Amino acid sequence: MIRFLHSSDLHLGKPFGRYPEDVRVPLRQARAQAVNVLADLARAHHASHIVLAGDTFDQTTPAPRIVRHAMNAMREAAHVRWVLMPGNHDHANATELWRQIRLDAPENVILATEPAPISLSDDVTLLPAPPTDRHPGRDLTEWFDTAPTGDALRIGLAHGSVTDFDSSEDGGSAVIPPNRARRAGLAYLALGDWHGQLQIGPETWYSGAPEADGFKHDKTPSALLVEIAGPTAPARVTPVPTGTMRWQRSVINLTEGVTPEAMLAAVLPSVTDRARTLLDLVVTGRARAPDRVTLERAIAAAAPDFLWQHDDLSGLGLIHNTDDLDVIDAQGALRAAAESLSRDATDQSRSPEDRATAQTALSLLFSYALED
Amino acid sequence: MKLLALHLTNVRKFTGKRASITGIGDGLTVVSEANEFGKSTFFDAIHALFFEKYSATAKTVKSLQPYAGGAVEVAAEVETDQGVFRVEKRFLSRKGAKIIRQSDAAIVAQDDEAERWIKEVLGQDGTGPAGLLWVRQGLVGLEPDAAAEKALLIDTRRDLLSSVAGEIDAMTGGRRMDRVMRRVAQDLSEITTATGKKSGAWKTAAEDVAQLEQDLALVTEQVRDLDAALTARKQAESTLTRLDDPVAKARREAARKQAQDAMDAATAQSQKMATARGAQDLAALHAKNATRELSGFLTAVDSLTAAEAEAEAAKQAARDADAIVARRRADHDTAQSAQDASALAVATTRKQLEAARQQIDARKAKGDAARLTDLIAKATAAMAGRDAARARVTASKATSAWLADVDKAGAALQTLEATVQAQSTTLSMAYTGAVQLRLNGAAVPADHPIALDALSEIDIPGVGRMTLRAPSSGRAAKHQLATAQSRLIELLALAGAETLDQARQLASARQDAARTASGADDMLDLLAPDGIDALRQALAEAALAAKLADDAPLPALADLDSALSEALATDTNAQQAHSRAAKAHAAARDVSIRSHAAVAAADKALNAARGAVGAEDNREARRTALLLAVAQTDTALSAAKEAVAELATDARDLATAEAELTRATDAIDSTAALRAKTDRTLAELSSKIEERAGNGIEERCSELEGKLLSAQATELGLARRAAALTCLRDALSAQRNAARDTYFGPVQAELTPLLSILHRNATLSFDSKTLLPSGLTRDLDDETLDNLSGGTREQIAILTRLAFARLFAKQGRRMPIVLDDALVYSDDDRIIKMFTALTRVAQDQQILVFSCRQLAFQDLGGARPMVTVSDA
Repeated sequence: MIRFLHSSDLHLGKPFGRYPEDVRVPLRQARAQAVNVLADLARAHHASHIVLAGDTFDQTTPAPRIVRHAMNAMREAAHVRWVLMPGNHDHANATELWRQIRLDAPENVILATEPAPISLSDDVTLLPAPPTDRHPGRDLTEWFDTAPTGDALRIGLAHGSVTDFDSSEDGGSAVIPPNRARRAGLAYLALGDWHGQLQIGPETWYSGAPEADGFKHDKTPSALLVEIAGPTAPARVTPVPTGTMRWQRSVINLTEGVTPEAMLAAVLPSVTDRARTLLDLVVTGRARAPDRVTLERAIAAAAPDFLWQHDDLSGLGLIHNTDDLDVIDAQGALRAAAESLSRDATDQSRSPEDRATAQTALSLLFSYALED
Repeated sequence: MKLLALHLTNVRKFTGKRASITGIGDGLTVVSEANEFGKSTFFDAIHALFFEKYSATAKTVKSLQPYAGGAVEVAAEVETDQGVFRVEKRFLSRKGAKIIRQSDAAIVAQDDEAERWIKEVLGQDGTGPAGLLWVRQGLVGLEPDAAAEKALLIDTRRDLLSSVAGEIDAMTGGRRMDRVMRRVAQDLSEITTATGKKSGAWKTAAEDVAQLEQDLALVTEQVRDLDAALTARKQAESTLTRLDDPVAKARREAARKQAQDAMDAATAQSQKMATARGAQDLAALHAKNATRELSGFLTAVDSLTAAEAEAEAAKQAARDADAIVARRRADHDTAQSAQDASALAVATTRKQLEAARQQIDARKAKGDAARLTDLIAKATAAMAGRDAARARVTASKATSAWLADVDKAGAALQTLEATVQAQSTTLSMAYTGAVQLRLNGAAVPADHPIALDALSEIDIPGVGRMTLRAPSSGRAAKHQLATAQSRLIELLALAGAETLDQARQLASARQDAARTASGADDMLDLLAPDGIDALRQALAEAALAAKLADDAPLPALADLDSALSEALATDTNAQQAHSRAAKAHAAARDVSIRSHAAVAAADKALNAARGAVGAEDNREARRTALLLAVAQTDTALSAAKEAVAELATDARDLATAEAELTRATDAIDSTAALRAKTDRTLAELSSKIEERAGNGIEERCSELEGKLLSAQATELGLARRAAALTCLRDALSAQRNAARDTYFGPVQAELTPLLSILHRNATLSFDSKTLLPSGLTRDLDDETLDNLSGGTREQIAILTRLAFARLFAKQGRRMPIVLDDALVYSDDDRIIKMFTALTRVAQDQQILVFSCRQLAFQDLGGARPMVTVSDA
């Protein structure tokens, strides 16, 4: 009866200001390419529509070229019809944005900016619930229950978080009831806002963003291919990968006796994937100082492989072992300095900041001493 | 090792000769010779013997060769634990080295083996500690200039102290510590300044944060501005929609039409009401006039009656007033006569009193004139006496000063006469007969000494002329005497005197005349203090006044005064009575005038009242007509009021209708104005929004937020790294400093007593890199070594070597200290103290001192070896 792609949260124009320029550029390019990726998937899977459940744009007033480029890309994908619904980032009251979109939008783009039924075909009606504000604070899908659609198949489209699970990326209040699809007789409820892909119910899904923009979600970014054979047929939902950039946050929990290099190697992606990978390493646990130095050197050696890499060893405690201090020196001033720092690092009468400083200083001493 | 003797053959100035120093003692040995003797040659040769290989061709070795060339031979006799040996080296030609045991003349080592033997004796690596102990001429530093040699000596010192203190490297961290500290310093210097302030990447990160915060604040403000513009535009669009609503527009137009119709109806009704009210007002005016006319007539009748009574009363009052005026005028005339009589009596009495007083004054003036005449005569006589005396004073020149000068000249003359007398050869004759001698032609008196001139001729009658030649005695005195005599004569002549007695008489006469003049002045001041002319003026006035005097008897002044007082009292009473009568008369006249005026007014009112009422026979007819007119106008007024009331029952409120019309019209006008204004606002907002949105300002804001977070994280990370590096640096420094104290302890222990010989309360600080003194603290005052004088640096250099030498000695490695004119910068006092230090160390340490300062070193002690030079 209908086959369409469900996606959301493209966040076109997201600046990624926290990252260096040479990282920002590919990130923004990948994000802009998401429109083409979706178009290609729709063509490959014979989807008639691509339904975007909000936050297509990152701001309410993106640069006009961002809108123009997106509309041009949709125009190029003439084989499919695009349904654009506002999200909380590009909400319906963003008048300038939607004025610009209306100016630039091709004929194959449907704007779902009002809570009113939209006929996708003779027998399929879309019920959109466009957010009117950054934080609407109310259930915009309530009207679905009583919306008159005749015998047409009813597909809901909403943006926000469901009440039994705070699925808002921005920490907004959750207002969409998880059983809205059943209560409103929807064959499928396409949700947006949560950047990771998530199934809420048999016919209720968050598609997730087609390109990840952080380390929060560990699943491979993908869109959802939704196929509904008839009015009473269940929705058949199939994830189709879309992401080109990889965001990986890995936690290495060191313990005494493990080999740091092996622990690191276990979490690192293949070398071929690293150039498109942003890696955030979080090291926890406790380790002897030489092991810490070994790990730091291994991380430093691998870092250039990645598009971007960051490591946080602040959560790694030191195992204070007298034998380890021998690495620095068996006796004398160097040894005395190491012992002094070791004492300061574990002296509970000192402030946590001072202890952390002493521990870092001790790690540096190990590092320098091991340069021999 | 101990040096016993040194032998040089064909070395520098000792060309073809053998120079030796023998008898070098165990302790302090001083080789004190003049310049150019060859001390430095000995020093350099010994140095080459122990530190240059026999095969060396280094500059230091070549410098030993004399101009004539040839092989250079250097030998030393040394004593080691194994015995006494002779160490020989031959350089540059037929090179070789030998170690010969003196006890049996056996060669124990040769060439390279000999070199190894020397190294072993000197120290572990040949350069050994002995390298520390050589002090060349003028050396004020502690290290050689050559980097290689410097590094070598540092290692030597480290080695030395390692031996002394145990494991120094282990203690201070040694080279590893140096490297780690360099790494820490290097890493820290990349992000901080020497004082710990941010620099490099850290400073850049902090600046980035500050700049980003500033940029973000600016962009955030622009985003807020954009949001506000968007909101405003939305409101404006909503306003436009509302204004353009056709239903509302039709409602506004209908309201205006309805208001206009109501206004038209109200206007017509208002015009009818105005007409009716006009008629009512006219009727009311007629009624009011009729009533007023009736009332006026009735009032005029009443007024006429009252006016007639008032006119009669006024006439009676006028008559009464006229009678009173006549009585008051008679009283006034009587009082006037009494006042005139009293005034005449006062004038008569006052005239009599003045005449009596004038006669008394004339009689007194007559007496005054006689007294003044007498005074004028006396004063005139006194003035004549004074003028004569003053003339005498003026004529005389014999003043007191003149007399004093005369007396002084006379006294001087007497003195000179006595002097001339005393200084001259005199001739005295006591005649026994009549024959009288003549001196220079003048008779010689008897018994009177005469001073003789240089050439005197004495005629002795009967005998002949006797010529006397005497020394020219008293010539000057005589000249002075003549001058004094001339002076006295001149002085006396000034006042006309010829003798001293005359001079005194003249002076006395002048003083008498002056006293006479002064007495006459006093008399004149007494008789005529204001001058004789004033007396004469007073006399003339008195004479004039005295002319009125007569001899008739005078009445008593008291009687006349009493009569005058009585007349004045009478006159005062008469004046008061006259005043009262005049006032009463004037008052009566005023009353009369007013009463006559009242009569005139009453007559006028009476005439007016009669005019208002009219003729008496028409008064009733007029009253009746007026009453009728009042009744008719009241009826007309009632009719008009009823007509107005009838119209008012269904009248429209014109003001309300007008207000409703205004409101309805304003609503349409204001809507149009608001729409125009909103259109303009929309255009402005759209322009602003397009500009901001076109710049992607929101995206820029989001980007800056991300960059700021990143920069803050970077800065925090660098701050933590700086803290950790600083912490590490401090820990390393603290531990190394602690180790250094232990490290330098033995050196300080040896150095301190030596240093105290030269400087009290002085300590040396050591550089951890060079392991040498770096500063001197004297009496808590810190000075770097470079800032010390050349002499002090030279002394410290030697003392430090002495301290090291003692450490060697404690290890059993006794090495000689060789000083080549090392105290060139030190004064004699310091040289003495330095020798005290050298002597102290020399108790268990061999020290060989070369010096050219023979005098300075003469009394400083130390053994004096034998120095010989002979043909080779």
